[in-house]
Amino acid sequence: MQGPPADPIARAARRALPATGIVLAGLTVVYAWVVWNAPPDRVQGVIQKILYVHPPLAFAAYLGFLITGVAGALYLVRRDDAYDRLASAAAEVGVLFATLMLITGPIWARGTWGRWWSWDLRLTLTLLLWFVYVAYLLLRTFTEGSERIARFAAVYGIAGLAVIPLNYFAVQLSQGSIHPENLERGSLGPGMGLPFLLGVLTTLTAFLFLLALRVDVGELRARARARLERAWARGEAA
Amino acid sequence: MNVFRAILWKDLLTEWRRRERVLSMLVFTLLLVVIFHFALPGGAGPANRAAAPGLLWAATLFASILGLGRSLSPELENDALSGLALVPGDRGYVLLGKATATWLILLAVEGVLAGLFLALFEISIGARAGALLAVLGLGTGGIASIGTLLASLSSRSRFGEVLLPLLLFPLLVPILIAAADATAAILAGDPPSSGSVRLLVVIDVVYLVVSFVSFEYVLEE
Repeated sequence: MQGPPADPIARAARRALPATGIVLAGLTVVYAWVVWNAPPDRVQGVIQKILYVHPPLAFAAYLGFLITGVAGALYLVRRDDAYDRLASAAAEVGVLFATLMLITGPIWARGTWGRWWSWDLRLTLTLLLWFVYVAYLLLRTFTEGSERIARFAAVYGIAGLAVIPLNYFAVQLSQGSIHPENLERGSLGPGMGLPFLLGVLTTLTAFLFLLALRVDVGELRARARARLERAWARGEAA
Repeated sequence: MNVFRAILWKDLLTEWRRRERVLSMLVFTLLLVVIFHFALPGGAGPANRAAAPGLLWAATLFASILGLGRSLSPELENDALSGLALVPGDRGYVLLGKATATWLILLAVEGVLAGLFLALFEISIGARAGALLAVLGLGTGGIASIGTLLASLSSRSRFGEVLLPLLLFPLLVPILIAAADATAAILAGDPPSSGSVRLLVVIDVVYLVVSFVSFEYVLEE
């Protein structure tokens, strides 16, 4: 039980845990200090500082869903449980970050657009994606047998990844977007670049830390279950 | 291909003998029309003509849940699914056969529903009936293929009936948007926008490929 994990993914996750934890703690302090001292936006005022939280959360959430789809596909090809544990860990952490994004978004929207929600392109896309991955986690909960869970979840994770571009074009068809295209044009105001960069770095580090933690727990749980099953088998034989 | 034909024939024949999927979906969609009527200010009539395309597709989505659930559940009795898993050749053809049967059954229900909508909302489409049928066929194609795949997952999970709409609806939203857009144009007397039709074709192809390829992994065990 105490030995190092057998599969390379869980080994890498466990080895990365202390380092990412320390980096995360350090980054969080610097990030908080920089955001606190960042100049308030001339038009939006202090609410604009959500900029340093909200888009980074989106990046992390989408990264998680990408990992879920790819790791699921790899599981179907290689049949290694390590990929399934990575896929489910990424989905859980991805749903967490997407939930936080869906909470911070309306707060910002209320402050700047004057209403809590608008059925704009990216909001709707993210909401739909959130539904897909909540359903992914429910499918895992309601299915029985670890091998079947892994297989079913991988199939649904791939379908969930395929729907992202379809939803994009569909929602674009139904209406335009009021979301700014700031990032593409690189039009962050003066003094906003550093806190934004730190926000992205801190959020991605937090994502990696939680992912590694979740992979490690999943691996330990699988080993504990295997030991339990061996003990039962011995008991029945005796 | 023989597998595809055999499964399609079997599903259509059992449906013809029992008619349980068509009837349950038909009664359900009629109920939905009544519900829509009382939910809308102005009722299900000419006053709400602009809402008709969206409501038509919403009713189709809801009804598809009933049909898809019943598409897979008979195969669970007596472990018939294990028998299906033994088909020679690609198992994707099993999915293709079942999805095509569901597609035809759904289309039959939608045909009745569309006729009812045209009468209630007092829309005359005349020569554009063919275009409407084509859009119904395209939109339903995606529902049938990805729906059959997901029903094969949910039917073997606990709370499968609850799980299926949760799994399926987020993936059907692009179909709802594109199909309602195309239907609205047809009902208004215009040709559907090339964007919506192209998107429907792309969705059908993507969902068909995803379902065909991954059904292999659903059946094994």
